Amino acid sequence: MSPATLIIILLALSSLAYYVGRRRAVTVGGDKIQIKQLHSRPTYYGALTAIGCGIPTLLIFGFWLAVDSNVITQLVVADLPENIRNLPDARLNLIVNDIRNLVSGNIVSGEVDPAMQAAADHYRSLKTTSNAALAVVSISMAMLAIVFVRGKIKPGLRARNLVERVIKYLLIACSILAIFTTIGIVLSVLYEAILFFRVVPVTEFLFGLKWSPQMAIRSDQVGSSGAFGAVPVFLGTALISGIAMVVAVPIGLMSAIYLSEYANKTFRAAAKPLIEILAGIPTVVYGFFAALTVAPFIRDTGSILGLSVSSESALAAGLVMGVMIIPFVSSLSDDFINAVPQALRDGAYSLGATQSETIKQVILPAALPGIVGGVLLAVSRAIGETMIVVMAAGLAANLTVNPLKTVTTVTVQIVTLLVGDQEFDSPKTLAAFALGLLLFIVTLILNVIALYVVRKYREQYE
Amino acid sequence: MNNSETGSSKPDKKTRRSLDIVNQGLARRYRAERRFRYYGLSAIVASLLFLSLLFISIFANGYSAFMQTFVRLNVFFDPEVLQQESLASANYQGLVKSSLRKMFSDVKGRGDTRKLYGLVSSGASFRLRDMVLQKPDVIGKTLEIWVPADDDVDMLFKGHFDRNAAEGERRLNDKQLAWIDQLSADGRIEKKFNQTFFTAGDSREPELAGIRGAVVGSFLTLLITLLLSFPIGVAAAVYLEEFAPKNRWTDLIEVNINNLAAVPSIVFGLLGLAVFLNFFGLPRSAPLVGGLVLTLMTLPTIIIAGRSALTSVPPSIREAALGVGASKMQMVAHHVLPLAMPGMLTGTIIGMARALGETAPLLMIGMVAFIVDIPGGFTDPSTALPVQIFLWADSPERAFVEKTSAAIMVLLAFLIVMNAAAVILRKRFERRW
Amino acid sequence: MRKTIFVLVTVLFMIASFGLANAARDYINIVGSSTVYPFATVVAEQFGKSTSYKTPKIESTGSGGGFKLFCAGVGVEHPDITNASRAIKKSEFDTCVANGVKEIVEVKIGYDGIVLANSKETAPLKLTRKDIFLALAKDVPDPSDAEKLVPNPYKTWQDVNPALPAKSIEVLGPPPTSGTRDAFVELAMEEGAKAFAWIKALKDKKKFAAIAHTIREDGAYVEAGENDNLIVQKLEANPDAVGIFGFSFLDQNMDKLQGSFVDGVQPTFDAIADGEYPVSRPLFFYVKKAHAEVIPGIKEYLQEFTSEKAWGPDGYLTEKGMIPMPDAERTKYRTDVEKLQNLMLQ
Repeated sequence: MSPATLIIILLALSSLAYYVGRRRAVTVGGDKIQIKQLHSRPTYYGALTAIGCGIPTLLIFGFWLAVDSNVITQLVVADLPENIRNLPDARLNLIVNDIRNLVSGNIVSGEVDPAMQAAADHYRSLKTTSNAALAVVSISMAMLAIVFVRGKIKPGLRARNLVERVIKYLLIACSILAIFTTIGIVLSVLYEAILFFRVVPVTEFLFGLKWSPQMAIRSDQVGSSGAFGAVPVFLGTALISGIAMVVAVPIGLMSAIYLSEYANKTFRAAAKPLIEILAGIPTVVYGFFAALTVAPFIRDTGSILGLSVSSESALAAGLVMGVMIIPFVSSLSDDFINAVPQALRDGAYSLGATQSETIKQVILPAALPGIVGGVLLAVSRAIGETMIVVMAAGLAANLTVNPLKTVTTVTVQIVTLLVGDQEFDSPKTLAAFALGLLLFIVTLILNVIALYVVRKYREQYE
Repeated sequence: MNNSETGSSKPDKKTRRSLDIVNQGLARRYRAERRFRYYGLSAIVASLLFLSLLFISIFANGYSAFMQTFVRLNVFFDPEVLQQESLASANYQGLVKSSLRKMFSDVKGRGDTRKLYGLVSSGASFRLRDMVLQKPDVIGKTLEIWVPADDDVDMLFKGHFDRNAAEGERRLNDKQLAWIDQLSADGRIEKKFNQTFFTAGDSREPELAGIRGAVVGSFLTLLITLLLSFPIGVAAAVYLEEFAPKNRWTDLIEVNINNLAAVPSIVFGLLGLAVFLNFFGLPRSAPLVGGLVLTLMTLPTIIIAGRSALTSVPPSIREAALGVGASKMQMVAHHVLPLAMPGMLTGTIIGMARALGETAPLLMIGMVAFIVDIPGGFTDPSTALPVQIFLWADSPERAFVEKTSAAIMVLLAFLIVMNAAAVILRKRFERRW
Repeated sequence: MRKTIFVLVTVLFMIASFGLANAARDYINIVGSSTVYPFATVVAEQFGKSTSYKTPKIESTGSGGGFKLFCAGVGVEHPDITNASRAIKKSEFDTCVANGVKEIVEVKIGYDGIVLANSKETAPLKLTRKDIFLALAKDVPDPSDAEKLVPNPYKTWQDVNPALPAKSIEVLGPPPTSGTRDAFVELAMEEGAKAFAWIKALKDKKKFAAIAHTIREDGAYVEAGENDNLIVQKLEANPDAVGIFGFSFLDQNMDKLQGSFVDGVQPTFDAIADGEYPVSRPLFFYVKKAHAEVIPGIKEYLQEFTSEKAWGPDGYLTEKGMIPMPDAERTKYRTDVEKLQNLMLQ
């Protein structure tokens, strides 16, 4: 039978196990022992039986399915004609691919010769045998488990504790996965970056002024000089993020102030979600908008004013990125401004201060650490932003702070270096990982500082 | 020194009353107050202005993509051309060409006839083929068929085309314009609803391109993301919040997860490239890999939302449960979790919405190839909606600009629905303790 | 007890992961040149729609990048076909053989010119190949006629040649993974370098290549990636820039762009087909014979590509801007494909 049907049967068996266990718990000992004297509620005995039946069988099921494909392939290959069997591995795996296509009913290449048809039939029959064997093994295993656990059910059995322990392990496993993600990111990026730093020294990477990574890819080709000084790229990121913050911080902060201090309830209820929408728009849409509308507009305005504006000015990308970050700054500042106790405000009003003076002289200084934390988080978002800059910023690593010129950023270089060449040992590809590592470290540091500042501030009002 | 006069008398320099000093400055202060208020209001107005500018610009560029220009051809299904054995690969293009030649019998010369054939999309022949394969009895008949026009003609009809520019700077020359005018005088050119946009996959020809492949790819990817990230995220949140011992390690874990939520998405793409493609050897461009990468990206969001939902359940509920004899696990499962579930669901929906709009990680794992077929399973090569937008944005044909904007509109529609669902959910199940 | 379970689960997971990569591939996997990409995608789409095979998956990686992936080995996880805007080099062929890819079929599909295009809003440039070399090389002969090299000092086109406009040199071109880049340096820059007698007389081939092929990195030449469409868009936005790409992209955008004259010849379809326009090169794709026999659809895809309705003078590829080969060549390559004739390189 097919694995899918088998899974359904196994799940049904587990449910059956539940009922069997539960019933057993209720009826064990006949009339002498009543439910009250059971250690746990009957449902836990059922659950224990179901777990005992389900988990080992599922593990066997998974393991079997993962392995049987390889085993069957080996067996089929062993029966292929001599000449095919002696082919080098790679050719062989192509033939196997064809056989598999034939078995699953996909289109095959060319004519189906008898040897291949025989191999495909063999594969199919082996697969059927394997499935049947799997069914037999797992169902019998399930049955055995049911009988075994049922036999152990007594009033004194601490079923609830056992079940809870199993659930706890499952929860731990899930948490470990989340932690492994961080470790995974750091390790994978670190590993490739270390390979890179074996070829290009760290000092050159961090302090070099020339970025021209498009090296030759063949020995007889002449490419760029392979300079990996990343300073122009960092500068580009800093420039565009700087422009974004110049746009986002004043607008975001002032909107937050207005919404929390001046606006009435209906205005706030209407305006806040609308501003949040800005955060929900995918960045590729912003990038498209920047490339299609904003950049030409800036260019035309620039030429009217007599300035020479590049068609992919840092200004266009920075402007749009700033608009994207406004809701971050706004909602974070909003939280901190609201957290300032009313007593401070009342004190200032009672001394005759106007609302703006209260805000400027009392509330903002009080909320400042939190706002600064929020701004740092927004900066880390701006630095890590990819799509807007890929579509609106340029590819030339210019060492400039002029917003009207074109610059490139760390994220653009990562994308450019990795889309295409997949060889994992050329300095070009590894440079992308080194950049990625740097990006990760910088955003990590910014976040840690921001959270530290925020946390420290939060405690002042307890 | 105190002058008992009130009003605006001018005291001398040495004896200014504090009241007068204050009154003098009042007007200036009130003005500063008004200015400040206007700054705040204008900041909000500026944000909303940007938002509306974005929407209007996208909408203005994209609404025309939902209509497509069609040309009505008088097609004779010539039995000589359509021989029974190879109906699928017969020369349908020839049928289209002869139909055009019959309508414009005065067109001679290879260059001119090529231009004439160029008025109709290359998809016309596929439309005829599908008709014949479905109902072979049309062979031998002459029918009026609406076929899609070429994208240049389409642009002309949608007003994106400057008829008055010099001939070398136009994509349609004067003769072609004359033929088109004649066709519309005969009532043979019309704009109809563009169904292809929703039923077809990607294509090189803008008039045949559609988002179905991308939508199905996005759906499959998000399905995997949801199936993996929701259970794992909720389980991890429950463990970390309720059961984990409170020591330095768990503090470190919390910091870790908070950081993960703020890591740029492209770094997750690098992780996917290095681990899933390079180490595990999973198929490139498959929704499976995309889903795995997006799961890793969404997990921190769900865990953080889950934890804050669990924290918001008041201690009284927990203590009451423990007080009647529940075990810790029972307390969490029966009392705390159901109350925290709306918050977790909201967090999940927001996480999914973010995953739907992500492009950068999918670029790294190879979903940028030209893929025409609609993906059938989790290991078929596919693309996703934001990646499709990115690819089309690079195409030079004018017609792709409107297709890209229309695809953005579809994406935004999905996102608005998801976010609205999250907000409604939050409002309905919000409880004030 | 806990530890053993943990270890067991990890081991199972790892084994399972190796089992995952076992799905059969039933589509064709193509990589390679961004110049050939527009043609290959059209053929792929036609192929997918008119047969019951799946549409091939095509990625634009650049000719060099494509050869690297192609020559990495034989097997399901490696590409079946690579497109290229230049012929395979001996070093790449050797890599292929070393990795087990011994039988390759070379198929020339047509010709393409390389143009230096700019926006129609400004006047077209009239360049000689010497101008191109002087404008783009990293090290140029000393302007004071001495027989040595200096780093390129020219900032505007007028500096290079007083007859050209006084606009700053801003060229968007392909990176070293691109075949267009290789062809460009060979056809345009080399000839320009040879205009200097002492460079032409150099015996050391490596030194000559270093002089002629190295392109400046001071910002005047920007490597614009494998996406030629992007270069077209940037040229529209920036009338002062010049882009280097294949003629097909110019042909498809004739209403917005124009090609510069090179050595007095304007890049037109006929000029390239006649051979008058000096910067033109053939386009190829390479197929692994080992894959052609086992991956479904490759043979039929090859048939579609080499059919008259695709690559002939009236074919749909010509409409996309590809210059077709003369009849004799088409026949030769069609028979090569039918026999899956192996490429022999000394």
